[in-house]
Amino acid sequence: MNWKQRGTALLAVLATAAVAGSAATQTQAQTKPIKIGYPVILSGPGALIGEPSMKGAQMFVDEQNAKGGVLGRKIELVVRDTKGNADEAVRVARDLILRENVDFLFGTLTSAEGPAVSPIAKENKIVFVVPVVKTDQLTAKENLHPYVFRTTTNTTIEGRTAAEIMAKWPNIKRVGTISPDYAFGQDVTRAFVTHLKKLRPDIEIVDQQWPKLGEADYNPFINAQMAKKPDAVFSSLWGGHFVTFAKQAKALKYFESFNSNFLGAGEAGAIETARAMGDDYPMGIWANSYDAFNWKDGPPAHAEYIKRLAAFTKEDPPSSWPITGYIGMQMLTAGIAKAGSTDSDKVSKALMDITVDTPIGKQTIRGKDHQANRAQFWGKMVKDPKYGFAVMTPPIYIDPLPFMD
Amino acid sequence: MLTPSFLLAQFQSGLTAAMFLFIVASGLSLIFGVLRVLNFAHGSFYMLGAYMAWQVTQWLGAASVSFWIAVPVAAATVAILGGVIERLLLRHLYGREELYQLLFTYALVLILGDAARILWGTQQLAVPRPPLLAGSFDVMGIVVPHYNLFIIVLGPLVALGCWLLLSRTGTGRMIRAAAWDREMLSALGADVGRLYTLMFMAGSFLAGLGGALVTPVRSITPGMDVDIIVECFIVVVIGGLGSLWGTFLGAIIFGQVLAFGILILPGFSLFAVFVLMAFVLVVRPAGLLGRPVKR
Repeated sequence: MNWKQRGTALLAVLATAAVAGSAATQTQAQTKPIKIGYPVILSGPGALIGEPSMKGAQMFVDEQNAKGGVLGRKIELVVRDTKGNADEAVRVARDLILRENVDFLFGTLTSAEGPAVSPIAKENKIVFVVPVVKTDQLTAKENLHPYVFRTTTNTTIEGRTAAEIMAKWPNIKRVGTISPDYAFGQDVTRAFVTHLKKLRPDIEIVDQQWPKLGEADYNPFINAQMAKKPDAVFSSLWGGHFVTFAKQAKALKYFESFNSNFLGAGEAGAIETARAMGDDYPMGIWANSYDAFNWKDGPPAHAEYIKRLAAFTKEDPPSSWPITGYIGMQMLTAGIAKAGSTDSDKVSKALMDITVDTPIGKQTIRGKDHQANRAQFWGKMVKDPKYGFAVMTPPIYIDPLPFMD
Repeated sequence: MLTPSFLLAQFQSGLTAAMFLFIVASGLSLIFGVLRVLNFAHGSFYMLGAYMAWQVTQWLGAASVSFWIAVPVAAATVAILGGVIERLLLRHLYGREELYQLLFTYALVLILGDAARILWGTQQLAVPRPPLLAGSFDVMGIVVPHYNLFIIVLGPLVALGCWLLLSRTGTGRMIRAAAWDREMLSALGADVGRLYTLMFMAGSFLAGLGGALVTPVRSITPGMDVDIIVECFIVVVIGGLGSLWGTFLGAIIFGQVLAFGILILPGFSLFAVFVLMAFVLVVRPAGLLGRPVKR
């Protein structure tokens, strides 16, 4: 931030504070930063998603603060490591509310953490915005309460999108699935299978493999699946699990056996994964990701966002995870601005059916289930000569509204 | 479905997994056999071996030999680190209760895990297959990657090497004597301290070797340390803690139960391994080829 910007920011803060201060009796409270408690995984295997996602949120906060913050107050993130453990996430969330007096909760990452922290938000009547957790459970009818909002996609959207894509592939009759055996893998695979059967009753599910999460040796699962001779396979193995799986599968000529008719959900198309694997990536498969740096059809705001992100994280091309934290934080801030208050009841009302202009276009949080119409990018993974690794070519953003419940 | 070629493919993949596991678990077993220390941090040494192998291949670039340099360098680095830890820290805990040793090695798991995170970050890393072994054979309708075959041959060679070292050399005799009665050996004038350091280094070397060797087929991520240590414990419990051939047998059983378990109990193959371990513990508490621990 240069001096001119800083001066403008200061003026904006003073001006807003003066207006707000005259209206309220507590002038001091208005100049204090708005504190947002942020429990997220920063150690252990989940950190490879938690860390970049948090950087996206931080970048948004820095940009917003440079423009004077929101309601004339700066935003301050109070970040705590959950170590990927739901009990720890709950403990950290309580601590943030009781000792740090945070105004809002934001974050968590795994499908265990999000639903565990949600009741804490309800109990303390504090708005909780969830930028990464995908399990349907989080905003299912029986768990929904006025304070929880999800700005990311969910397992139903992801599974159904995959089914929409595969249903259009020619000559597919026998489909297999391979997914990690835990909540996320089961939920997204179920959503995929149910929707595919609806779209294409003629397709038969011939094989389903369920390796445990963190499996080191996928060979037996790969052999067993190949023995069933599927024409196409859906997978939700993510991150390092996908890397291990794909390396072993490629050596066994697994992808060749069904002409690379493979659809990798769970962000198998994330740039981190493609970059780490280089030539070992199974070229020609389809995969998804939260963001695509090479999205030519996107709005100009997206290209600008990618440029700023590359500068902020000093990574070029930048990670696909920061967009989750960025959009989540953008939506929460928009809710606060719309409510004109940091009172959680008012912000909760403001977030219902709010529409925000995000780097990937307009996003709306539906009032009926507190779920954003957030989808992902999907596309064929092709080796890019410029970068030397697989890149989604071209990335396609599939609007989920037509098949959301 | 159950064609001979499919069964052969399953057997081959089980054997590959078993040999990877044996190379790592043998180090754990050897250290316990002589030092009577159950080293929780063994998995962390495995993880460091993998990260070091990645680091060395990064330094050497895309040269086709870089992997073959990376593997011994990684294993040797881990061995040296193991030696330093044994000499400076672990040494002071030999006379204490086992609980202290467990706590200490568990603390090492946390420290080394964080150190790896600081040095290499949290992103998954990968090492390409060495060009020499990137291909595969087509045998009887199944695909056998060259690299798998290399591991299947290397495992027994490591076992044989360890066995020859222990049974045919002077140092090996001393090691076996130390395992049997360290006070007596010390009273006879042998340098037991040096022997322990060497043994711990050898065990760490095997962990580092295993870690470096898996990099072409597995991703390198934080958390791989804890995953492998659980599997190693199962293997040495089944085979017999401290027994080299027991560990070999335990690894083969583990690999085959996992490979064929998914055909019988899909989703419960790990469960089958735990049942087997519980069964062995009840029937032969010292493991299949283990000797009861002398108190």
